[in-house]
Amino acid sequence: MTGRYFPDEMPMPAVNAETAPWWEAAAAHRLVVQRCGACGTTRHPPGPVCPACRSEQAEWHELPGTGTVYTYTVVRQAFIPALADRLPYAVIAVELDDAGGARMVSNLVEAEPTEAAVGMAVEVVWEDMGPEVSVPRFRPAARAATTTQRGDAP
Amino acid sequence: MAGHRGPVSAGARAACLVGVGETRYTKWGGIDDASEYQLAVRAVLAALDDAGLSVDDVDGLASFAEDRNEATFMAADLGLPELRYASLSWLPGGGGACAAVANAAMAVEQGAAEVVVVYRSLCQGQFRRFGRGPGNAPGRAGPPRVPHLRRAASLLEAHVSFTMPFGMFSPPIAYAMVMRRHMHRFGTTAEHMGHVAVTTRRHAARNPRAVMGGRPMTMDDYLAARMVSEPFRLLDCCLENDGACAVVVTTAARAADTAKAPVALLAGAQGAPRGFGHGQYANVGMPDDDYASAGAAGVAARLWARAGLGPADVDVAQIYDHFTGLVLLSLEDFGFCARGEGGPMAASGALAWPDGALPTNTHGGSLSEAYIHGLNHVVEGVRQLRGESTCQVAGAETCLVTSAAGVPTSALVLGRR
Repeated sequence: MTGRYFPDEMPMPAVNAETAPWWEAAAAHRLVVQRCGACGTTRHPPGPVCPACRSEQAEWHELPGTGTVYTYTVVRQAFIPALADRLPYAVIAVELDDAGGARMVSNLVEAEPTEAAVGMAVEVVWEDMGPEVSVPRFRPAARAATTTQRGDAP
Repeated sequence: MAGHRGPVSAGARAACLVGVGETRYTKWGGIDDASEYQLAVRAVLAALDDAGLSVDDVDGLASFAEDRNEATFMAADLGLPELRYASLSWLPGGGGACAAVANAAMAVEQGAAEVVVVYRSLCQGQFRRFGRGPGNAPGRAGPPRVPHLRRAASLLEAHVSFTMPFGMFSPPIAYAMVMRRHMHRFGTTAEHMGHVAVTTRRHAARNPRAVMGGRPMTMDDYLAARMVSEPFRLLDCCLENDGACAVVVTTAARAADTAKAPVALLAGAQGAPRGFGHGQYANVGMPDDDYASAGAAGVAARLWARAGLGPADVDVAQIYDHFTGLVLLSLEDFGFCARGEGGPMAASGALAWPDGALPTNTHGGSLSEAYIHGLNHVVEGVRQLRGESTCQVAGAETCLVTSAAGVPTSALVLGRR
């Protein structure tokens, strides 16, 4: 997608030693999940050790970028002033395919916010914020990849 | 110990709540002649006065969750003879109010201190909204034009970097998603949540301290309120306000000399399920049964076991109400109804004083009395067991008090001695 989903005043990600590789993969438009190198358990957000077997071995497993909406909300209040002209927007939790049940928070794009529904099939769309920062958002799956509409566009 | 039905903590050092106090509560910005810290000091002094104790009796201070009003400064500024115990619960946001009281109780029962005051002051007119997240909060100056991957200042900031860039930067948004999931699984409705809002507003009408005491609300009013983050309307969300309150904890032996009837702390419990992290505010990856819940089932099991009581033994409840829907989830987790039945339970009138099966938030709660991170729910629990509530449950002997659902949390069972 080309246009920015949110205004520039939105908070940008900040990273630590555990989460930096995830955001670096995102900058390369690779959606990954951290997977234990010993027992295969996935975890998101990333952490220093496997919560199942406590191994420090971990790999960054690349995902197909598809998933299902687990839950969502349509936000209708501007919690920062810059969002006043950007309402409503949909925040979704996506259960990611091939990710061992891992879920992530994102936005529904290329659809009306009110089209969000539990169980909706979605696929990743990358939004470049700068050379070092890209943010994954999701659009309804199987929709043509040609549109760059904002979520509030008809 | 007549009336003490719990098996734990019997004896001369058993923890009792002997004093409660508060400042006036106003809408945010309503208190401009005293700092948030000054209000905390006033609340501590009011609670001590209520107990018939003085600062010279105090040797411990306790609070929770990023309290800006450090106990170390408080001890010096109040002139405590000696500080022997100070603690801050790790439980985030409103999850720690009951834990702070339980920690104070453990301190006096173990002998680390004799009189511990638990306090909370929240002036949103001075410090703005709580729960905006750490340094990643939307910047006044805005981010650099070409953003780079900044180093997070804390674990929390790194975690909420997976939520805030997507506009999930406020508790109503995060917990709206929890309620949507609960609605999807169990058929919970807006009207179910509305019963919580309308019922507690009715309770607040009798409470002269309540910020919204003079603002009646009907179900039609509730349904007509503007949407904040679907399914939450404005009237699903707690107040934002100014005020402070405090609770004095001491031993049963010491309580024999205090001004009013002491209230027994029958049990306290705190914690979170496996993988719950900071709660649904920063984590959407926990098991489905935990996500669409208060996250308090384990806390409830430990609480009831320690108290030697169960949900059927509770006469009145003060249930943390940052959002109407999360009251329903707490009712489920604490065993007042089956999973998914919180909405129908509220709609049955069970939460209403005086005739409901479980009169709940008899002060008006955070939705209608004041949002003091639920320490005011402990204050109301004490008043119920003294017979001082403005919605007094006749003959109340036991009160459940819970802290925030949706973060690692805590709860108390209080009893009339």
